[in-house]
Amino acid sequence: MTAPEIQKPLLDVRGLTIEIETRRGPAVIVDGINLTVGKGETVGVVGESGCGKSLTMLSLVRLLPNKIKVKGGTAEFAGRDLLRMSKSELRQVRGGKIGFVFQDPMTSLNPVMRIGDQLCEPLIYHRSMNKAEARTRAIELLRLVGIPGPEQRITAYPHELSGGMRQRVMIAMGLACDPELLIADEPTTALDVTIQAQIVDLVKDLRKKLNMSVVWITHDLALIAGLVDRVAVLYAGTVVEDAPVGELFARPTHPYTRGLLASIPKLSDERASRLSSIGGTPPEPGRRPKGCPFAPRCALAEAVCHERVPALEPVVGSNGHRVACFVAQRQMMEAA
Amino acid sequence: MTITPVNLSSSVADDEPPVSLWRDAWHRLVRNKLAVAGLAVVVLLAFVAVFGPWLTPYDFLTQDLNARNQAPSLAHLFGTDDLGRDVFSRVVYGTRTAFVVAIVVTTIAVAIGVTLGAMAGFFGGLFDRTVMWFTDMTMSVPNLLLVVVINASLKTPITAWMEARYQATLNPFYRETIWVDFLLVFGSMALISWPPYARLVRAQVLSIRGRPYVTAARALGLTNRLILMRYIVPNAIGPLIVSVSAGLGTAMVLESAFSFLGVGVNPPTPSWGNMISDGLRVWQHYPHLLAAPAAVLGLATVAFSFLGDGLNDALNPRGSK
Repeated sequence: MTAPEIQKPLLDVRGLTIEIETRRGPAVIVDGINLTVGKGETVGVVGESGCGKSLTMLSLVRLLPNKIKVKGGTAEFAGRDLLRMSKSELRQVRGGKIGFVFQDPMTSLNPVMRIGDQLCEPLIYHRSMNKAEARTRAIELLRLVGIPGPEQRITAYPHELSGGMRQRVMIAMGLACDPELLIADEPTTALDVTIQAQIVDLVKDLRKKLNMSVVWITHDLALIAGLVDRVAVLYAGTVVEDAPVGELFARPTHPYTRGLLASIPKLSDERASRLSSIGGTPPEPGRRPKGCPFAPRCALAEAVCHERVPALEPVVGSNGHRVACFVAQRQMMEAA
Repeated sequence: MTITPVNLSSSVADDEPPVSLWRDAWHRLVRNKLAVAGLAVVVLLAFVAVFGPWLTPYDFLTQDLNARNQAPSLAHLFGTDDLGRDVFSRVVYGTRTAFVVAIVVTTIAVAIGVTLGAMAGFFGGLFDRTVMWFTDMTMSVPNLLLVVVINASLKTPITAWMEARYQATLNPFYRETIWVDFLLVFGSMALISWPPYARLVRAQVLSIRGRPYVTAARALGLTNRLILMRYIVPNAIGPLIVSVSAGLGTAMVLESAFSFLGVGVNPPTPSWGNMISDGLRVWQHYPHLLAAPAAVLGLATVAFSFLGDGLNDALNPRGSK
C-alpha cells in the first residue's frame, strides 16, 4: 500500500454541525466535525452507535432525514461545496462522483426490480448509456465484485441472493459510474463474520484497482485495521482522534480510543480476565456536557475537561496524528 | 478494466431458475381454492361481457309480446320479462354494462387516486395537506346523494343540448343518449371512488419513501420522478391490486345501486340494477325476474371479493398466516 500523496484533499469537511429538531428544541448531534480524505486514501470513521458517523456521511450528499438539518460548516468535494451546490449539480455528484454503500443489503435494494435493472439505472442516468451498453457494463460490474455467473445473475431479484451477494451488488451499484469517492456505511454489520472479511478484501482490492478514495464507517476497529490508511475516531459528534492507522494502534492517545482498543478481545488474554469496557453511556443529543463530551466517562478527566471543549491538535512528534484531549496533550508536552 | 473477480462461494445454486415476485404470488394464488373459484367466475363473466352479444340466443331488446313473463324454460333459460324480452340475454348484456362501468370507473378512480396519493405521500407539505383535504371532503359527502345530485342537475341540460345539436346537424350520434348515461355514470362514480385509492397509496408511499432502498436510489442521484415511478409506486402496488379487485366488485354493486335508483344506466340498456329494480315490482308473481340479475350480481361481487382476498394473501405472504 503506497502512502497517498499529500495534496489538496478530495473531500474536506470543516466544522460540520448537524442538529435534530426535538420537542425541546434543536439538539446538536454532530458538533463541528473536521475530516479530510485525500485522493486514493482510505479513511475509517469509527465510533459507537449514535455518535453521528452515518449522519455525517449522509449529510455530505444531503440525504438527511426530515427533522435533521445541517446547521453549519462546509464540505468541499473536489473544490465544490456539497452543502451549497444546486440540486441538479448534487444529483450529478450522487452516484456519479460519490458512490454509497449502505449498511443493510437486505433492505437497500428495490425488491421489485431485477438487480441488473437497478445496476443499469445510474449508468443510463449518469453516463447516458443505452440499455445494451448499460447491461454490458452491469455484467462487468457484477463480475468485478465477484458475483459468479453475472450473465444469469443479472436477471435475479434481490430476494434470490444471499446477504453477502446483495452487499456485493450494492458495492457494484456504488461503483457503477467510477466514483472518485466511495462511502461505505457499515457495509458489513448485517453480514456473517466470514462474509465480512470477504467484503473488506473486496473493497481493499477494488480501491487499489480503481484508484478511488474510500470512507469506511464502522464501529468495529479491528475489522478495518488492514484496510484503511487513516482512522478518525468519533465520539458524540466530534472527532476526538485522527491518526494513520498504524500510529493509532501503536499509540492510541485519546482515552476513548484507548478504551475502544482495550475492548477488542485478544486471544492472548487470560481466560479468566474480564472483557474490558468503557463505563457509562454517550451523552444524549441536547444533553451534551459543557466541556469535553467524553469527560463524564473519562477516568483521567480533570477540572478543565468539564469546563472547556478541547480542540483537535497535532500530537507532538508525530506525522498527521491529532487528538482532542487536554490531558493527553499536556502529558505529551511534559514528555517532550 | 481488467480485474480478476474475487473468488467466493455462492449461496445461490447456479442452476436454480430465477423466480419472479409475481410468479411466486401466482403460485400462492392458485393454491387458494376460493381465490381460484373467484378468478374462474371473474374470467367467465369477463368472457361473457366481451363475447356476450354473439352468444345469446335472442337480442336483448327484441320484445315478444306473445311470450311475456314466462318462467324459465329451455327456450328462455331465465324466462322472459313483462315485455317478452329474454332475461338471459339481458343478463348477459348487463354483464357487459357492469364490466364496462366497473373497469372504466375503477381505471379513472385509480388513475386519480394513485397520482394524487403518490405525490401527496412523496412530496408532503402543502400539496399533501391539500390533497388530503379534498379526499376527506369527498369522503364526507354521502355517495348516493352526490351521484343523484350530479345526475339530476347535469342530465337534463346535457340531454337538451344533445337534442339541440341533433336538430341542428341531424347527426344521429347526438341521439345516442347512452353515451350521456355512461359519461355521467362514469364521471360521478369515479368522483366518489378515488379517495380510498389516494389514501391507500399515500399511506404506502409514506411507509416506503423512508425505506433504505429509496435512500439508496437517491444516493445514486436518480430524479424524484424516476424514484417515484420505479422505486416507490411499484412497491406500493400489491395492496393496490387487492383494493382494485375488491373495487371492481364494489363498482358493479354501485352501478346496480344507481341503476336501481334510476340514476344509473337508463333503460332500455340492460343493467343488473335496473333489471333488479324492474323485477322487484313483480317478484311475488315472477320471482325469476328478480332472482336472475340479483344472483348474477351477487355471484360477481362474491367472486371479486374472493379474488381480492386471494390476491391479498398471495401478495403479502407474511400477512397470511
